[in-house]
Amino acid sequence: MKNTVTINEKDLIAREKLNNPSFAKTIWREIIHDKMAIISLILLIIILATAYLSPLFIDQVALKRVNFLNTWKAPSAANWLGTDDGGRDVFGQLMIGARNSFTIGIAVTLIAGVVGLSYGLISGFYGGHVDNVMMRFLEFMMVLPTTMFIIVLVTIIPNYNVVSFILILSIFAWLGKARLIRSRALQERELDYINASKTLGTPSWKIMFFEMFPNLSSLVIVNMTLTLAGNIGIETGLTFLGYGLPAGTPSLGTLVAFARNPDIVQNKWWVWLPAALLILVMMLCINYVGQAIKRASDARQRLA
Amino acid sequence: MSLLTVNDLKVHYPIRGGFFRRVVDHVRAVDGISFELQPGETYGLVGESGCGKTTSGRAIIGLNKSTGGEMLFEGKDLAKMGRAERYKHTKDIQMIFQDPYSSLNGRKNVLNIIAEPLRNFERLSPKEELLRVQELVARVGLSPESIYKYPHQFSGGQRQRIGIARALALNPKLIIADEPVSALDVSVQAQVLNFMQEIQKDFNLTYLFISHDLGIIQHMCDRIGIMYRGRFVEEGTADEIYNNPQHVYTKRLIAAIPEMNPEKRFEKMHLRQSINEEYQTGYNNYFDKDGRMFDLKKISESHSVAMQ
Repeated sequence: MKNTVTINEKDLIAREKLNNPSFAKTIWREIIHDKMAIISLILLIIILATAYLSPLFIDQVALKRVNFLNTWKAPSAANWLGTDDGGRDVFGQLMIGARNSFTIGIAVTLIAGVVGLSYGLISGFYGGHVDNVMMRFLEFMMVLPTTMFIIVLVTIIPNYNVVSFILILSIFAWLGKARLIRSRALQERELDYINASKTLGTPSWKIMFFEMFPNLSSLVIVNMTLTLAGNIGIETGLTFLGYGLPAGTPSLGTLVAFARNPDIVQNKWWVWLPAALLILVMMLCINYVGQAIKRASDARQRLA
Repeated sequence: MSLLTVNDLKVHYPIRGGFFRRVVDHVRAVDGISFELQPGETYGLVGESGCGKTTSGRAIIGLNKSTGGEMLFEGKDLAKMGRAERYKHTKDIQMIFQDPYSSLNGRKNVLNIIAEPLRNFERLSPKEELLRVQELVARVGLSPESIYKYPHQFSGGQRQRIGIARALALNPKLIIADEPVSALDVSVQAQVLNFMQEIQKDFNLTYLFISHDLGIIQHMCDRIGIMYRGRFVEEGTADEIYNNPQHVYTKRLIAAIPEMNPEKRFEKMHLRQSINEEYQTGYNNYFDKDGRMFDLKKISESHSVAMQ
């Protein structure tokens, strides 16, 4: 006990700050120490900043105007990435499209993540009858034909816009995540540290979100980064089917959808290739950053 | 007055079967055990694995539901308490877990682990909290700067001491030690056990010590209850159990302690053989026709045996 008295308090608090960095600081340290992660982060920031700032410089009305004299033009100084079937500038569409697609992807991922995580944690933590009832409801939701329901909802909703599209996609996006989390939570709740927390008088919700969740976070982060890519894919697929974003809203899906024609795939690459590459690069960047965050969340894996 | 009185405690698990998953039978994990804990003593629960020692301990602290009987803590029945009332007693009964590797959350550093109970029950400023944790960490013999480390940076013995510090944080009256040293190697076991005896004096603790290691029980406990298949076989002071075992199961258990002196090997072998013979011939004296133990019968003031 003498040791504690001799230690200077200010010194202690300073050392605590040094040794006990916040989670954000740990993530930052982890990203800095991983070359791929820092490159990815910079690239991702550049792409997203360009996409989100571009509306300030692009005339969106002009972008939507059809010009038949200007169709399928190859890349030139006037149109950096050429034009599409309506004579609209592909580069402008790519920027606006990247913004729309990414917003939808990230919103759906976040909503689905939060809902799925809470649902799975509650179900797995309590187990027994609670788990039984919650899982039966989840199974009922899962057997519904997702694509058909989305299409029906898209058709019957009166004022259909980006927000309602996000909500419709989220209805079905959290199911798999909830199951995944629940299965891990069931394993985790048998471990003694959960029992210890119970005997120490910690309330259940605190155990779920502050004890159990950090131990599942690597799973959640990996799953979120992967589904972020998947959700951008869903948007692309629905747009391809004609039930995606409202007409006239450019998205990466609209651009990639041009590639269903062999002539365009072969000869008019400038329409679909940039969008496809942009999706690929964004996904890789998100993945590398995600891996760095995953390592930061687990003290045993940290590089820094 | 005794600190904890356990009366006819039962923990039964249903076995479901048949078409509608009806309850066809029960696993009688704990089947009517009774004992008393006096303040300041160490009571040992011994038995082979699967005999219900851990289940009893977990029922007392509330991790398992008891299906029958009563657990009177300072005169109030823990089994019948509502959640809010039970919560008030959380401070008084704490537990040391068997496995120091899974009982500490690997995502939290030592400061957050030990401060967890303090944050639940006491309103302390961060500085007060830090000093309290420092004090506890120093008390269990770890260096003060180790509070910023994570559990994986410690050895098994050190981790167990972190677990003990966490259990001590609320100044409990009763500590249930569920095989606290069975996951540690022998050199560290003695260290942790002696340390537990030390803090028992300092904090005036009562231990319910659950173990399968007879040597440790003899070293630690004032009174001992021998369990077998969810029931008590024999109960008495450490001296009575080790020097004057009455039940054949206790005798077999004690005869199984390895003998250090090689010259006594044959003597010990003959003892085991004679006990085995007694077990074969006198089986009906100790077990009824279903193979269940009889109820405990007093043979002296402190010693009772489950015999006919």
